[in-house]
Amino acid sequence: MSNFNPHNIERPDPSLLKYYMITALLTGPGFLVLALPLFFKYETLKYRFDDDGMSMSWGILFRREIYLTYRRIQDIHLTRNIIQRWLGLATVSIQTASGSSTPEMSVEGILEADALRDYLYTKMRGAREHHEAEKLPQDQALILLQEIRDLLRKKAE
Amino acid sequence: MNRQVERAATWMYRGLWGVLTKWFRVPDQPPTLPIGSGESVQSFRPSDGFLRYLKLQFWIWLFFFDAVILFLWFVLTAAMPIAGVWLLPVALAVAVVPDVVAYLAIHLRYDTTWYVLSQRSLRIRSGIWVINEATITFENIQNVTVESGPIERFFGIGNVIVETAGGGQRAAPSQGKGGGENLHSGEIAGISNATEVRQLILSRLQVSRSAGLGDDHSEMAGWSTKHVTVLQEIRDLLRR
Repeated sequence: MSNFNPHNIERPDPSLLKYYMITALLTGPGFLVLALPLFFKYETLKYRFDDDGMSMSWGILFRREIYLTYRRIQDIHLTRNIIQRWLGLATVSIQTASGSSTPEMSVEGILEADALRDYLYTKMRGAREHHEAEKLPQDQALILLQEIRDLLRKKAE
Repeated sequence: MNRQVERAATWMYRGLWGVLTKWFRVPDQPPTLPIGSGESVQSFRPSDGFLRYLKLQFWIWLFFFDAVILFLWFVLTAAMPIAGVWLLPVALAVAVVPDVVAYLAIHLRYDTTWYVLSQRSLRIRSGIWVINEATITFENIQNVTVESGPIERFFGIGNVIVETAGGGQRAAPSQGKGGGENLHSGEIAGISNATEVRQLILSRLQVSRSAGLGDDHSEMAGWSTKHVTVLQEIRDLLRR
């Protein structure tokens, strides 16, 4: 956990391709239809985590890039089906307050899914006490007020 | 005698459970939540009543399911006795195997469900085949519902459902995978102290003034107690 740095994550783990191929194989005749899009999804899948938000993009013909800020996360779901558990993978589904019932972003193929989930948790709203740094404009007001008080005090003396 | 049978059953179950948890990679520890200093986490499971409730459902379901199968078999045997005799093992297998699987699934479901509450958030783990862990901070909760049906009340249990903002129709259970589940909510199912847990969640929710997406009802929005004390000092200085 202490060594985990999401900023280093750019690409999913190669075992994600294995997982995609297994799920495609399990559909039987659907393999031919599913395998190619999943392969390209794996090949083009990119993640980027910065201090305020995260983005993921994929697609070869139709590209898609999603960006969301950590503060807007409503709930995080970590799901593992049995194949994912065998491969050590997980799906981290992140939801914001949008109207769809499907998650806004499903982060797949991260081996340190627990650490990532906890990282996102600490960044989401209500996970910590509001930092004083976040109240910067108000703090300036406080400083101003304190200055006025001190000036008045001087005058009073 | 009865106790011996029970002990053997527990041993069998534990043994089976051990094998299944190993094969299915089921975590046997409760989930944890990252917490700040001085905060505590409480983790609990559904109450025993929930297990009894699930088992009652199971027995009712089993009764009807097996009655239908036996009825069909009797009809078939009455029409074609030889085919009926040949099909007897098949009919028995169809009648018994799903029951055993369902019974085990009930126990596994009960054993793998965990609820974890911290000062700021809750985490719910559930599922056997697909293990789902939902994490929701209290600040994001919009409403808290307590539900319990007549049979659930008889067993002294209730369900606490917390919902976060954002919609999405609850998918119909017939839609198969992932159906019947609204991801914008978390369900603490089958606990004996449902109203207490609701009060606990609500009290922690009220600690935070910005909970939910609604308006900030605080009249002193943007002003902390520090500002107010400084303003009072200024007033007192001017008054002199």
